[in-house]
Amino acid sequence: MVQSNQDSDISLLNINQGITCLASGVLNPQLGYDCLLVGTQTNLLAYDVYNNSDLFYREVSDGANAIVLGKLGDISSPLAIIGGNCALQGFDYEGNDLFWTVTGDNVRSLALCDFDGDGKTELLVGSEDFDIRVFKEDEILAEMSETETITALSPMYGSRFGYALANGTVGVYDKTARYWRIKSKNHAMSIHAFDLNSDGVCELITGWSNGKVDARSDRTGEVIFKDNFASSIAGVVEGDYRMDGSTQLICCSVDGEVRGYLPGGEELKGNLMDTSAEQDLIRELSQKKQNLLLELRNYEENAKAELNAQLKEADGQRGVIPANTQLQTALSVNLGSDSQSAHVELCISTTNDTIIRAVLIFAEGIFEGESHVVHPSLQNLSGCVRVPLTPPKDVPVDLHIKAFVGYRNSTQFHVFELTRQLPRFSMYALSSPDSATEPLSFVNCTTNERPQRIIMWLNQSFLLPEDAEFQSAPFQVCFTSLRNAGQLCIKIKPGGEISINTDDIDLAGDIIQSMASFLAIEDLQVEADFPAYFEELRKVLVKVDEHHAVNQRLTADMAEHSNLIRSVLVQAEDARLLGDMKHMKTRYIELYDLNRDLINQYKIRCNNHTELLNNLKAVNQAIQRAGRLRVGKPKTQVISACRDAIRSNNFNVLFRIMRVGTASS
Amino acid sequence: TALTLLIFYFFILIQAAWSLKTRALTEMVYVDEIDMDEEGIAEMVLDENAIAQVARPGTSLKLPGTSQGGGPSPAVRPVTQSGRPITGFVRPSTQSGRPSTMEQAIKTPRTALTARPITSASGRYVRLGTASMLTNPDGPFINLSRLNLAKYAQKPKLAKALFEYIFHHENDVKNVSNSCVPFSVFVKYHSALDLAALATEHAQFKDWWWKVQIGKCYYRLGLYREAEKQFKSALKQQDMVDTILYLAKVYLRLDQPVTALNVFKQGLDRFPGEVTLICGIARIYEEMNNISSAAEYYKEVLKQDNTHVEAIACIGSNHFYSDQPEIALRFYRRLLQMGVYNCQLFNNLGLCCFYAQQYDMTLSSFERALFLAENQEETADVWYNLGHVAVGIGDLNLAYQCFRLTLVNNNDYAEAYNNLAVLEMRKGHVEQARALLQTASSLAPHMYEPHFNFAILSEKVGDLQRSYTAAQKSEEAFPGHVDTQQLIKQLKQHFAML
Repeated sequence: MVQSNQDSDISLLNINQGITCLASGVLNPQLGYDCLLVGTQTNLLAYDVYNNSDLFYREVSDGANAIVLGKLGDISSPLAIIGGNCALQGFDYEGNDLFWTVTGDNVRSLALCDFDGDGKTELLVGSEDFDIRVFKEDEILAEMSETETITALSPMYGSRFGYALANGTVGVYDKTARYWRIKSKNHAMSIHAFDLNSDGVCELITGWSNGKVDARSDRTGEVIFKDNFASSIAGVVEGDYRMDGSTQLICCSVDGEVRGYLPGGEELKGNLMDTSAEQDLIRELSQKKQNLLLELRNYEENAKAELNAQLKEADGQRGVIPANTQLQTALSVNLGSDSQSAHVELCISTTNDTIIRAVLIFAEGIFEGESHVVHPSLQNLSGCVRVPLTPPKDVPVDLHIKAFVGYRNSTQFHVFELTRQLPRFSMYALSSPDSATEPLSFVNCTTNERPQRIIMWLNQSFLLPEDAEFQSAPFQVCFTSLRNAGQLCIKIKPGGEISINTDDIDLAGDIIQSMASFLAIEDLQVEADFPAYFEELRKVLVKVDEHHAVNQRLTADMAEHSNLIRSVLVQAEDARLLGDMKHMKTRYIELYDLNRDLINQYKIRCNNHTELLNNLKAVNQAIQRAGRLRVGKPKTQVISACRDAIRSNNFNVLFRIMRVGTASS
Repeated sequence: TALTLLIFYFFILIQAAWSLKTRALTEMVYVDEIDMDEEGIAEMVLDENAIAQVARPGTSLKLPGTSQGGGPSPAVRPVTQSGRPITGFVRPSTQSGRPSTMEQAIKTPRTALTARPITSASGRYVRLGTASMLTNPDGPFINLSRLNLAKYAQKPKLAKALFEYIFHHENDVKNVSNSCVPFSVFVKYHSALDLAALATEHAQFKDWWWKVQIGKCYYRLGLYREAEKQFKSALKQQDMVDTILYLAKVYLRLDQPVTALNVFKQGLDRFPGEVTLICGIARIYEEMNNISSAAEYYKEVLKQDNTHVEAIACIGSNHFYSDQPEIALRFYRRLLQMGVYNCQLFNNLGLCCFYAQQYDMTLSSFERALFLAENQEETADVWYNLGHVAVGIGDLNLAYQCFRLTLVNNNDYAEAYNNLAVLEMRKGHVEQARALLQTASSLAPHMYEPHFNFAILSEKVGDLQRSYTAAQKSEEAFPGHVDTQQLIKQLKQHFAML
């Protein structure tokens, strides 16, 4: 870009709205140079800075929280993909939306990455429901659950990508497997992939809220370079800023301090840390030595104890326990009492008279801070510890348990480590079938699977007191949710027809998805009806319409008011220049009143807008939920058909699509 | 049933008459508002619609001084207040410039010819094209506040007539003091907008006409982005020259001349040879100070429509200022043949004749111009040019009298003050010359001549400090002026010696 004014290095652009996201890149291949994309709460502007002209200006009612520019899948032209409230939209350079789909919650971060290694890029979406979803165009390839809102995603190379969470976690995924992650008490403000040590592999550069910048190896997460700024980092980017042909890593702090880093030369051989790195290594090694010495001493003590086998009572103190001691864990559903709400109970017990001194459980997404320690007081020590669990979401969770086992007066304990998986639908208690309270809503589908396999899935995903057996064709099993006491019935009828009765559309979607992935079903069409939910949705749709109408009115009102204010202001100034103080005063009083009105109106408009946003989000979520009731092709069909129905404002068709999956009967 | 049928027919008749009257009233005041548009002081000073605050030269209308097309320098072709070369054709936007401060903006309208309305809504829309200030003895034909817009929106034929009536006729209100004008004007736009919104909904967003109307309402309300959306959507349904012109106007307001040019050029693909579109392109180039491109497009206009007054006048003035008065004369004669018969034309003819050395015609043309002058400003223009001619033939006494007469007719004539000062200086009346130059430079700070003359004058009398400040002002107004640069250099040497 040619600078318009030689004196200043900065040219300012005026957008007139709060900017929520920014991107730049080649959007129009024929143009041959970059354009600037500016996302605001309501609009997306593609702007050609060089020519001071718009490529397009689009209204995006779902907002633009994140933006990424690039090619997606088989779509030939580059797209500007924006993530809003539950919606994803992709625009080409003419402003046509070539890509649209819905996702589970508000999108916070986007990235393009060749996830499945087919040479085409897939879209990674990080959202506020802690999920990273991978879209191959319209279709979801994978979903990874994290423990916090995903604030940043950055493709590294191949199928590898980095991520950052709102709680200060940074890590790297390769496909669906997590390579490493670290957690800090600071927040990661920006992450970027850059090959800082010239070893041909990108490192993950993280800018932290305390002003630290570090580069971590993509394989191990080991810090290979770090630097400190005086204030929080605002962003990390790369570019040939000095125009000397080499790309630099550029970090900028919120105070406006900008530092550029050139990749290290060949002679460094990837070793960027100076002498202090070697010292660190020595320190690390000596610590290892210390640990090993400690361990050795323990063994020696034990050996001594074995020699003096007759000193029985002292055994416990030294931490010797019977060799056949085992740690047993059991998961069960506890329906709760007056003092305690219903929960899943994890019971950890030993097989003999030893006691458990402490239990340390590590599990993602169940406890605040991911780990939980139970440390009974000395009086209450026993061989059995019960831990209540209430997983907030229906996801399978691995519980990593570490228990300290010994005797009451031991000073040293044995640590038992074991891993137990919490089934996906553990928060549902088996109940007796009761037709009176059976939910009206249902999902029906037909599969060719043997019922036995479905029962297998049932046993694996639910916490059943004893494994269910399949006897004859009409098979029924009922559950009560521990969260809200909602009913869930799963029936298997002869002919492979499965019906799931629940009022919770999310739960139904989860069950369908879980079952489909267990049974490896590729395409599944269902018939569904959720009368209560659909009625609510209908109300929301009506409200959206009303809000749109009101919004138009309010916008016109605002414009009218601001025009008035302008003319009054000019008149007041006019009076001032003429020295007509009396008139000037009246004008300014008028102006004051008008201004107050305007502010009031603005508040109304803001409220209206937030409500509209919430309602639109609800609509997008409804489409997403309707999609989740299906698998494979029917799913994408439902989502796109729903969108068409909403575009043409045809509510009846929308509900029909949600029920049967297609617009035509 | 016969009675109901009768009543039914009666209603249809009444509707027809009502519709006819609405249309007639609208026709009475109808003005094509594509051309009739002017940015008001308030919009200009208080609004920030442009994205780039400092755009690259040649991509913005805000920086007129940065010519790319190699037009004549201000030394040859005088500039308007905005720093643009004067055009051959006066349109609302060609006259006044973009003042930098509110105070300047408010003060400028006081110099008669460059008047700007307070806001665009209270400006020409009120003065032109409305049934403004006309009181109807029987009260208004339609009482807008009592109208059930939703009902009328259901009837497409009535709704369109009603909309045009509200938009054009009811634009202004009766019997209200001037200060209240904007209030009621906006209320009317509002009801027009409401009606259009209801009607377009009734037409299931399939009627492009309504979309254009909504866009027009938004445009007048200053909601340019919303207007852009409506026009674009209308263009998708139906290609229309009108819509293209409106869309380009929106982009000009957003200070994106390149986008507007693209809109026109795309429009030309669909409507090849459409005069209004080519003319629009030429106007934008002219406003961007790209005179050679503008002239090319004006020629293109003439190929399609050889009676296009604006194109002829612009090409004529371009030839005149590029030192080809004979050719300019031919274009002006062409205008005369076409029946344009006014003061300005004879004025131009006189000047062309003078520079083409056809002295016999010069004075008679100016005489004719004086006869045809409709107001004092025009008379002042003629006298000023006569003074110019007098300077040219060396009759300084006549020149002096002519410039005096100019000031009698229009005492804001900065150019005349300047020339008068030069004459006074020749006579050796330094104090008078200085006073005249100061008047000239305060009246027209955009002109470099008074500053430069003042600098020379001060330098001669030995007031180097004033000379330097004036020279700097002159350089600001015309950065490429060699004499000014030399003067500054000389002054700097003086200062260095001290």
